[in-house]
Amino acid sequence: MDKKQKKVVVLPCSGIGKTFGSVARETAHELVESVRPGVTVLTCLPLLVINDPDARQLVTENPVITIDGCPKDCAKKSVESVGKKDFHTCRVVTFYSAHKDLKPEGVAPLNDAGLKLAKISAEELAATVDDLLKEEN
Amino acid sequence: MSEFLEATFDKFIFRVKEEYLYHPDELWVDIQESYATVGLTDFLQKTKGDIIFLETIGLGTIIKQGEEIGKIETIKAVETLISPVSGKVVEINPEMEENPYIINEDPYKAGWIYRIEPANLESDKAVLLNAAEYFELMKQKVSREAKKLYG
Amino acid sequence: MELNVLSNRKVGIVSCSGEGIPEGTVCRLACRKVLGELKAHKTVTICLPLFIAGGEEERTFAKTFPTVTVDGCEKLCAAKATEMLSGKPAKSLVVSEILKKRGIAVPGKLRNFGDEEETAVNAVAEETAKAVDEVLGKG
Repeated sequence: MDKKQKKVVVLPCSGIGKTFGSVARETAHELVESVRPGVTVLTCLPLLVINDPDARQLVTENPVITIDGCPKDCAKKSVESVGKKDFHTCRVVTFYSAHKDLKPEGVAPLNDAGLKLAKISAEELAATVDDLLKEEN
Repeated sequence: MSEFLEATFDKFIFRVKEEYLYHPDELWVDIQESYATVGLTDFLQKTKGDIIFLETIGLGTIIKQGEEIGKIETIKAVETLISPVSGKVVEINPEMEENPYIINEDPYKAGWIYRIEPANLESDKAVLLNAAEYFELMKQKVSREAKKLYG
Repeated sequence: MELNVLSNRKVGIVSCSGEGIPEGTVCRLACRKVLGELKAHKTVTICLPLFIAGGEEERTFAKTFPTVTVDGCEKLCAAKATEMLSGKPAKSLVVSEILKKRGIAVPGKLRNFGDEEETAVNAVAEETAKAVDEVLGKG
């Protein structure tokens, strides 16, 4: 019987009150659509809280990366709330600290600097995706 | 009994800790036996946003009330911090280097920034406000911010 | 002691996260349009992830003031989470239903919206703004 190939679940906070929330969302989409398509998948943070069975199963049975926009760590907390302990977490501010020339502004839409920051952040997360897949598959 | 005075604007709750003293430039002071602990007000941390970096002055620095005591950088702005008291910096919160956002999480306790050996407390107090006085000032600032946003 | 500095009644807007579906992006852009332009003086952003993770201010506001939730799909995350954590929203909108009613096609992409996709965003923004007026009109 073939073992089902795991995918990395990418869960951004997508906070709508702060620009870093939008950068988190954009980073997640960039990672899943462009940087590591086919081996990553998005899911919505609120689905975990409203006990959507598919979302909970996806998160509990696959490696996870959470991307939080601010230190409130909403994405991380939501994954922890379903009992998952071992997963990769990151914050947009860490990527911004290394690329301070790209100051994100706006929420929806995000400015060009924010989109560039998201692109770079997604590229930097690619290695994490590869490592997580190596461990699993 | 609450330890805070609170004012609400939309969803934001601005808190003022009752036992502290306040400088009008938004730093609080908690006067203890041998030192004064200093940090940012809830109003300042909420209006400036998540703190990404904190630049501090060095341990042992002699500072005067009203002088610059550091800077915070948020996604919105860089803000100069003004010392509420005169004296010598004897301790800097070790958490500040790695986790300055603790100021946003808990501005009045875990988010303290400096401990200062005061040099001139009695005359410094002439400038400082008690919680009730600062609360009135803060409400005026909140109203001004609201007018800027909503006209 | 609590004091309302500005006591005008406002409506909290709760947008779903909508990852991976075009309706999610429409939802988000439309809600920001309402918050920033159409009903800027009458609405407050309720960040759904923060609301869910225990944000005190988001939950307190949603318990005290009316909310309008806007969901990208029939899973109704924003509506359900709001009801679970604070109280039933005053109005609950769904992007796919609004677009169907208006005969507007769902955008074919998740990001980089252009003029074509803006039609969908504007339609949802208008309906959300209308919902805000209805909620405030009820007094």
